[in-house]
Amino acid sequence: MAEKRKYKKRYCKYCESKVDFMDYKDVGALRFSLSERYKIMPRRLTGNCKRHQDMIAAVVKRARAAALVPYSVTRKTVVTAPFENLR
Amino acid sequence: MRNYENLVIIKPTFTAEEIQSSINAIEETITSNGGVIATTDAMGMRKLAYPINKNERGYYHVIYYSVAPSAISEIERRFRINEDLLRFVTIKYDTNREIAAWNHLVEKANKKAEAPTKEEVAPVQEEAPVATEEPAQEEVATTEESSTTQE
Repeated sequence: MAEKRKYKKRYCKYCESKVDFMDYKDVGALRFSLSERYKIMPRRLTGNCKRHQDMIAAVVKRARAAALVPYSVTRKTVVTAPFENLR
Repeated sequence: MRNYENLVIIKPTFTAEEIQSSINAIEETITSNGGVIATTDAMGMRKLAYPINKNERGYYHVIYYSVAPSAISEIERRFRINEDLLRFVTIKYDTNREIAAWNHLVEKANKKAEAPTKEEVAPVQEEAPVATEEPAQEEVATTEESSTTQE
């Protein structure tokens, strides 16, 4: 069980770096809380606290509206790699 | 007066001058509604995460401004009519924490605007190498993302 887990339940990464505000335009910073298919990762896997998870949810949804983060990644869209535009 | 931020995506089919004129028109809609533009941030031509109206790319432009809350509905109405825009996102910065973040973002955008003024003169040249790099860098780009987060 415990060995098989990909992520360990740990501290909140955002609390540690004392993040008070997240910018939805900074997609690189959101990447930690997104899966390979750009789904929002659950708290039990990332170890984020509730407060920061709520912030991430809001920020990711904003970024999706702004076409910075895809809503869904299917086989088709994965081929064209949605995320090479990050500088 | 409340602080806001607007991200607009302009059609990729436009030339540099057309983009500039539509940006001016957008900024004018804000100022004509009593808004005070703090700063702007040109993110440039980027690939969209998903196609919007069959467009794969878009010109991103961010405007930080403060305006009376009642004017926002009018500004958004004008944006909706504007056919140059693929998409716009309005963000409100209301609480003290958000206002502090807004000030920080404005500062950052100002710094960015001061430093690469040379690049802004020739945005077309900038875009070209990015476009060529894109297909090759699929794997590399994702690793770069994670490295930037650590910074």
